[in-house]
Parts: sequence; C-alpha cells; structure tokens
Amino acid sequence: MLKAARFYVRMVDGFNRRLGKIIMWGVFVMAGILLWSSISKTFFNPSLWTLEIAQFAMVAYYVLGGPYSIQLGSNVRMDLFYAEWSVKKKAWFDSFTVLLLLFYLGVLLYGALNSTAYSLGYFGKEPFVFYWDLITAFVTGGPEAASEKLGYIERSPTAWRPYLWPIKIVMIFGFFLMLLQCVAELLKDIARIKGETI
Amino acid sequence: MSYEMIALLMFSSMMLMLLTGQRVFGAIGGIAAIAALALWGTGGGDIPFSAAMKLMKWYPLLTLPMFIFMGYVLSETKIADDLYKMFHVWMGPINGGLAIGTILLMVLISAMNGLSVAGMAIGATIALPELLKRKYDKRMVTGVIQAGSSLGILVPPSVVLVLYAMIARAPVGQLWLAGIMPGLMMAGMFVVYIAVRCRIQPELGPALSEDERQASKEEKYHLLLAGILPIVIFAAMMVPFVMGKTSLVEASAIGAMTALLASIIRRRMTLDILILCLKNTLGISCMFMWIILAALGFGAVFDGLGAVKAIENLFTDQLGLSPWMILILMQLSFLVMGTFLDDTAMLVIVAPLYVPLVGTLDLGMPRNEVLIWYGVLYTITTQIAYMTPPFGYNLFLMRAMAPKDITMRDIYGSITPFVLVMALALVLVMAFPQIALWLPEAIYSR
Repeated sequence: MLKAARFYVRMVDGFNRRLGKIIMWGVFVMAGILLWSSISKTFFNPSLWTLEIAQFAMVAYYVLGGPYSIQLGSNVRMDLFYAEWSVKKKAWFDSFTVLLLLFYLGVLLYGALNSTAYSLGYFGKEPFVFYWDLITAFVTGGPEAASEKLGYIERSPTAWRPYLWPIKIVMIFGFFLMLLQCVAELLKDIARIKGETI
Repeated sequence: MSYEMIALLMFSSMMLMLLTGQRVFGAIGGIAAIAALALWGTGGGDIPFSAAMKLMKWYPLLTLPMFIFMGYVLSETKIADDLYKMFHVWMGPINGGLAIGTILLMVLISAMNGLSVAGMAIGATIALPELLKRKYDKRMVTGVIQAGSSLGILVPPSVVLVLYAMIARAPVGQLWLAGIMPGLMMAGMFVVYIAVRCRIQPELGPALSEDERQASKEEKYHLLLAGILPIVIFAAMMVPFVMGKTSLVEASAIGAMTALLASIIRRRMTLDILILCLKNTLGISCMFMWIILAALGFGAVFDGLGAVKAIENLFTDQLGLSPWMILILMQLSFLVMGTFLDDTAMLVIVAPLYVPLVGTLDLGMPRNEVLIWYGVLYTITTQIAYMTPPFGYNLFLMRAMAPKDITMRDIYGSITPFVLVMALALVLVMAFPQIALWLPEAIYSR
C-alpha cells in the first residue's frame, strides 16, 4: 500500500514538476505576444489574433502551472492558527479539509467536460455519453466517423473567431492534473500522520 | 430558508473553512461549488467553470504575471542598491535624511512594480541594516519601511488596483492615474512627518558625519544616474500608454521586458536568478489566479442569491443611513476586518460585497467617478488595516524580514505615527475627491 502510494506521489510530483518548469517560461510567450501586438499596432495593421492568443496563453499558464504552484507551497493559507500548529496537527486538518478542495476541482472538471462537449457541438445533457460515442466512433471508424458525431463547433464571438475547444481541452487536462496533485498532497499528509515519509 | 440566511450561511462556513488553514482558493471554491449544487442542482455545477471562462476573457488580468515578474527581476537582481546609495549621499546631511531617502526610494520602487511586498523586501534588506548601523532609532526605521512599502500599491503600476478594477468593472487606466496624486501626497506627508520629528528629536535620526558621505563630485553625479533607471522603466511603460499607442496590458509587457533588459545590461542577471524569478512568478501568479477563479465562482452564487441587494436594503432602508454614513461605516469595517483577514481574502471576499453598493450610493458624483475614487480610498484603507495590530499582514512580513533584535513590540510601536498620517491622508482624499480625480480627468478629457 505504502509502496503504491510512494510510486503514485513520485510519478505525479515528477510529471507536474517537469511540466511546471516548462510552463514557467510562459511569461516570455505572453510578453512576446503582447509586444508583437503593440509593435504591429504602431507600425503595421493591428493583428486580430493577439488579444485572444494572449488570453489562451494566460489560461494555459495558470491552469497547467497550478499543480507545480501547489508543490512550491505558493498557495496562501489563512495561517492565523495554522502557523502555530505542529506538523502532525497540520496534516490531520489538511487531510480533511483537502476533501473540500478535491470536491471543488471535481466540479470544475465536470463543468469543463460539459462545456467542451458543448464546444464540439453537443447540446444534450449527457456529455459522458457523447464522449464515449465520439471515442468509439474514432476507434472503429477513424477520424471521419468521429467527425460525423460532431455538431456545430463553437467559435469565439470576435473578429478572429477562434475555435474554443482546444483551450477547453487544455483546461480539462490542467484541472485533472490539479486533482492528481491534490490527491498526492493528501497521501503525503496521511503518511505524515503515520510518521512515515513519502 | 430565506436567501439572506443562505448567504449568511455561505459566508460563515467559508470563514470557518479559511480558519482551518486550507488553501484559500480551496476553501472559497469548495463552498461555492457546494452552494451552487445545493441551490440549483446539476445546472449549478457549471458555475465554477463558467468563472474560468469569465476569467479568461478578462484581458487586464494579463498584467498580473508581467508585474509580478518585473517585481522579482528588480528585487532579485538587487538593481535598487545604487538607488539607495544615491539617496544616501544626497540626503545624508539632514537630520532623518536617510529615512526621508528611504521613503523616496520606496516611491521610485513603487513606480516600477505593483505589489507592496517587493518594496518591503527591498527596504528591509537594503535600507534597514544601513539605517540601524547609522544609529537611527529602530522604531523609526521599521515604521518608515512599512509606511513606505504601502505606497507600492497606490502608485501605478498597481496589482491591487487591477484586481479592484475587475470587481468594480472600472477602467484600470483611470484608476492607476487616480492613484498617483494621493500616493505622492502620502509620501510627502511621511517626509514632512520624519523631517519635523527628527528636527525635534535629532537622536531618532542623526545626520551623517562629514567623512561618512565623502564622495567626489564626479561620484555624486554618477550616482544620480542610478536614479534614471526607474524613470526609464516607468516612462517606457507609461508614456506609450498615456499617449494611447498601447493598451495597459501591452504596457505591462513592455515594462517587464525593459526591467529584464536593464538588469542584463547592468550585468546583474544570471541564468540562476532568471530561473528563480520565473519560478516565483509562476507560484505567485497561480496563487492569485486560482483565488480569483474560486472567488468569481463564489461571487456568481452570491449574485444569484441577490446578497448585495440584501445588504444594501439593510443599510439604507432598515437602518436609514445617509450615503456618507454608509461610506464611513464601510471604511471602519474594512479596518476591523483587515486586522484578521489577509489582503487577498479582503479583496476577493469583502470587496465584491461593498463595491457594487458604493456604486449605488448618491454622493453627488457620477457613478463611474465614484468607483474610481473609491478604488483609491479602498487601497489606502486596506493598507492601514494591514498595519494595524494585532493581526496586520505587513506587521508579520516585517517581523519575518527584520533582524532578531527588533521585537514585535517595537514593530507595533513603530507604526502608530505612520498610521495616523495615513488616516489623515484618507480623510483628505475623502473630503476632497479631486485629489484623486483631477489627473485621470485631465488626461482622459483631452
């Protein structure tokens, strides 16, 4: 059991750390887009795409960087009482209150899946059925059969009109990683209560 | 259960969860998600995620990572050292001159970054040891640094005003311009206070001896060049913005890259420092973004309940208060809450309740002006709150950064006169809204 937990924590921590170390360079991506936007505005015709690409970059930055920020311990807590507690007491409290956090992330993930299904042209109430259909169609009939399952693809209501599903899939991925990371934190806390280290 | 009761229940359970020490965004978001599902069933399950879409479309939020990165570049590369030396040489001869120099240093640092923490860090690491070595009174010194760092979020660029703008749906550019005059006024009041106090009690801030500030004329002017750096960064950022060439968000990227460029030209930047800056930027940006994400969800549920209307109703109809009374009452409650809530919690939980209410008050000004003016009031008030014992955010930060022989008692004692000065500034801006409003008016009415 402990071995499995250790393996899980090592995998999740490792993946999210590596991802975070790549994502942190995203500051330059955002700055680059914004600089290009101001240059093009001053010297040529203003670009249509910069505003939305910058927004997408920002979302990817904080959603995919989130798990690493949890590892870094950057997420503030109200430490009026918390700061004074012993390591064990902190772990006890955290392993209960983290359930609220996991619930929140679960609802976020559900909302993201729902919204992505909408972006792919599914307006019903059962997004999971839709995803299942989509995947089975892809497996059995290839891309063409899958694309038949799609309906009206949602676009952003702006001049550039980008598709919205790619960024929503990034969000799904990020929320999922965040969930994995918080479960890893829970496992670390349980280990701390037992006096073990992971 | 009535909607007011549900709102109250949500609020109190969130406070309780915050006190358990769970990550702030988890506590806020979790309560919001539970409330949404309980109130509106599975349809409510989309509320937390629609907050993510709302956040994505809120363009000015991009300034956040830019300014945070900029702040780290400036403080990690210690580019402010020369600035401090400049004030050291030029302000040394006056009683309390170094303390005045520290305030001016803080003004310049504020103009280059948007969080008060960076100013505090620079003040505590560079100015504090120097001032103590020069026999300055330790209470004077810690007070000066805390008061000075509070300018950081009033003088543009200011991250807090960006977040306020999101809540109030007010234009960030005007808010920033509105912060300049009150910020400079407050700095001026600090300087006057220090000068007068050190005149009466020279032992609090003795003037430097002749040979301490020995510097050749050449060296003196060379140091003056250091002062150009913040002006260049500030100008690179603000001039194209005020002239309407770039948007605010683009200006923030220009500022961040100018700061980086300056640190590279001055040979202060190494790969290790850059990676450290990037890592810290990611951590702090994610912290802010996730809290905002959770708070937007919470706010959406609260809006759905009509909680703001209920509070407004309570104030105006049931208690029969005049608009000014309500405004003053709000400021006082901010002061009380700021003693035990931290700044992000105040901003995302309390401000969304109050700010819409301010917009509906009849204070004899157009609504958009009220919101901009209130942004300045809000910023000053919260800064006072973080400096008020027993639980001021800034007080603990100062404790963490100051050397061991400065006790919590010293820090508590040090801030009293400065809090009084800030309160006076607050009253002035309240009584004369033009202090805040004339600059944005002058620039935008062209």
